[in-house]
Amino acid sequence: MHTKIQIRLNGKIQTLTVPPFRLLLDLLRDEIGLTGTKEGCGTGDCGACTVLLNGKPVNSCLVLSGELDGADILTIEGLKIGPHLHPVQQAFVQEGGAQCGYCTPGMLMMTKALLEENVNPTEEEIRFALSGNLCRCTGYAKIIQAVQIAAAELRKSGK
Amino acid sequence: MGELAVVGKSVTRIDAEEKVTGQTVYGYDLVLPRMLYGKALFSTRPHAIIKRIDTDRARRYPGVHAVITGADAPWIHGETIKDTPFLAQGKVRYVGEPIAAVAAVDEDTAQAAVALIEVEYEDLPAYFSPEEASQPGAVAIHEDYPKYHKADFIVTNPLPNVCEHFKLRTGDVEQGFRKSDIILEQRYRVPTIQHAAMEPHSAHAMVDDSGKLTVWVPNDAPFRVRTETAEALGLPPEKIRYINPYQGGGFGSKGGLKVERIAIALAYHTKGRPVRVKFNRQETFVSTATRHGAIVRIKSGVKSDGALVAREITIYWDAGAYSEKSPTVCIRGSLPSPGPYRIPHVKVDGYAVYTNKPVAGAFRGYGIPQGAWACEQHMDDLAKRLRMDPLEFRLKNIFVDGDIAYWGEELHNVGLKETLLKATDAIGWGKTERLDPKAFKIGKGFACIAKPTRTPTTSNASVLVNSQGKVTILAGTVEIGQGCSTMLSQVAAEELGIPLENIRMHPLDTDVIPFDSSTTSSRSTFHMGNAVRHAAIHAREQIAEMTSGILEAPVEELRFSNAQVFLERDPGRALAIGDVIRKQLGLEGIIRGNGSYTYELGKDVDPQTGHSDHASAFYMYATQAAEVAVDEETGRVRLLRVVAAHDVGKAINPLNCVAQVEGGLAMGIGAALHEELVVDDKGKVRNSSFLDYHLVTSLDMPEMKTIIVECPTPDGPYGAKGLGEPGLAPTPAAIGNAVADALGIRIYDLPLTPERIYWAIQAATD
Repeated sequence: MHTKIQIRLNGKIQTLTVPPFRLLLDLLRDEIGLTGTKEGCGTGDCGACTVLLNGKPVNSCLVLSGELDGADILTIEGLKIGPHLHPVQQAFVQEGGAQCGYCTPGMLMMTKALLEENVNPTEEEIRFALSGNLCRCTGYAKIIQAVQIAAAELRKSGK
Repeated sequence: MGELAVVGKSVTRIDAEEKVTGQTVYGYDLVLPRMLYGKALFSTRPHAIIKRIDTDRARRYPGVHAVITGADAPWIHGETIKDTPFLAQGKVRYVGEPIAAVAAVDEDTAQAAVALIEVEYEDLPAYFSPEEASQPGAVAIHEDYPKYHKADFIVTNPLPNVCEHFKLRTGDVEQGFRKSDIILEQRYRVPTIQHAAMEPHSAHAMVDDSGKLTVWVPNDAPFRVRTETAEALGLPPEKIRYINPYQGGGFGSKGGLKVERIAIALAYHTKGRPVRVKFNRQETFVSTATRHGAIVRIKSGVKSDGALVAREITIYWDAGAYSEKSPTVCIRGSLPSPGPYRIPHVKVDGYAVYTNKPVAGAFRGYGIPQGAWACEQHMDDLAKRLRMDPLEFRLKNIFVDGDIAYWGEELHNVGLKETLLKATDAIGWGKTERLDPKAFKIGKGFACIAKPTRTPTTSNASVLVNSQGKVTILAGTVEIGQGCSTMLSQVAAEELGIPLENIRMHPLDTDVIPFDSSTTSSRSTFHMGNAVRHAAIHAREQIAEMTSGILEAPVEELRFSNAQVFLERDPGRALAIGDVIRKQLGLEGIIRGNGSYTYELGKDVDPQTGHSDHASAFYMYATQAAEVAVDEETGRVRLLRVVAAHDVGKAINPLNCVAQVEGGLAMGIGAALHEELVVDDKGKVRNSSFLDYHLVTSLDMPEMKTIIVECPTPDGPYGAKGLGEPGLAPTPAAIGNAVADALGIRIYDLPLTPERIYWAIQAATD
């Protein structure tokens, strides 16, 4: 059984025929070939597969494709602004926010969601926002620093 | 050595941009043409004979291409003891052991077919603690252990289920205890934990028509696993090729043959089609590797002036069901377990013991954290008995330059004391700045470690420079997130005078890249750093020779900088490095520089005495300190701040050094406060998910301060030692000492959960 859905993925309208129970994570990685979104657990516990669904961060391993008709989805592959890194990407590069990099796409998508809602978060607010995104490499300090730098940059540029 | 241009600078990671844009292809992301999907059936019994396996229904399931059991993959492997079947051979030894596997058109089909395989077991007695398993009379988990092929250095022992017995004998401990004024004996316990790298394990394998086996896997030692595979399959190594996609963290778990062997076994039954086997998170927790749980008995004798006289240690390492890295963890973890102190009489017995639990293997720190948890808390309790400040007590005994360590080696370039003084100063040791808030007890603690690296080992590298002045480094060091590709590029940039943006690492492929021992044991900066440096110098010498002819100037007068070669006395006479190569070799010309490094003096420890005059190419020294607030009502430990002072020899990239230490601290904090892989009395892991296994989150991390100490070693590149592992080794003991300082109660078992602390407080007040 397949369902036809139309989605806007990283700004482009796409029509797909998919089994309705196919997870959004698998749809992105296996059907569409966008492997930037990572699978860390498959049970919604680690945040590595975070994407923005209609502007809100979700664990894509917990979303069924059947729910997606008309959805607007942003993944790590759509985060750059034209040829330029998004300020959150730039800050992660500069501050050393990525080590093995496997949690990084999810961290970045969660950070984008946070800063869109609150461009001047306190350190506690950043820690809380990222608490569902696990990282085994960094100890989080450089990630939090990067989010603060990105927030400052976004405030400065008024985005 | 003149002023350094790139080495010592906190340049941004060369792999950062592809990682933040989602372009990096990890092992888990890899797709191969015509690939099939593999899944395994795992044992549900901790120790049992397999009476019968019925795969008929699985074979008939539509979409299935292959169903295999141990009979179809009759291979045995093991790095130091050949005891591990690719798939169970007639018996199972832990819950989670692979028994059979299916390759099918997709993963769902493979999983559905796996569920149709029937297994009938006959249970055997099972052991879940190394003390229990090594009691006289215990049933052998490996009844064929005496017959197994073993490395020369393995020391056997008549006790049941002991797969390695490490012995260190220095002086006479009994005499030492008789001469001591105070004797203290304690028993500490460290539980099994798991690496939990964010990328789960996966491997792809294919056997082509010529019989060549290719394996795509993020493995931390591609050459070593190639050897292990070759020995198991009876193939020459050149018939095996390992290709390393990016690795999403490993911390020791992604080495040897784990998920690899299932993919390889299936690939021999799929008629040339590649097979992908991905472990999910639960399988990764249970069926790859864990960190050794350990029971440490420690007894010390001291003079009333604080001089250590004797120390006796017995460690039971919980190896799990197969030997994996246990013999070498036992050797290299037990060896320095008496701590970085001058002690005239030392006796250590380390026993690696088979149990019916998931297989323990390499884990960042390689046995040092377990010993440190015991030794460093024991040191504080000794200080208390001596009525001496723990800092003063350590300063009296700590390793300094010129000391002969208890394993017989004269130590040099010891930065330990500096780390101790700087860490204790930064935590405000001996000062009380904070008043105890109501119901909270504040305490401070610290801990020291010295960690050896695997010795002797070899690294080789090549550096290619083309006629555009672009550089490609061929080095077998695996980028597991530690930043080696940036570090090695900095070394090449330094020696060639070519900017970093023109330097890239070649993907790792054992058919192309020169041999390297492994990306383990914090060995890469030192060994591969040296090899790449030599290779870059070799390339530079060839370019200098060419330039000398063109500019008609002696080689000694040439300098390399900003992608140019120029005359020192007349910098206007300059040539672009690429132009030199083009002029001499044409547009397609490439210069290849080769470098090789082995620490020649390195000598394995004597298996009977534990002695070696060069046990390690270098030692990593560190002191960490912590300040905690303990809630006496709930037993919860709140970490206020941690300080880490590490002697790295020379920081090639200070930012990345700090990043390594911070990541280590996070793991150490997790191990201190919440991590434990819980195995129940049926051998089943009860918390094989991120919901139940508590990794530290952004909310758990305290303020961190990292202090980089540079006590250079003349053998290291620019003086560098290593740094990857020690970040987590002293952390739990530092926190344990802080908790004991806060409460006046010593807690001997990890992790320091609220429940454990609550009951310790209740017991102390009863």
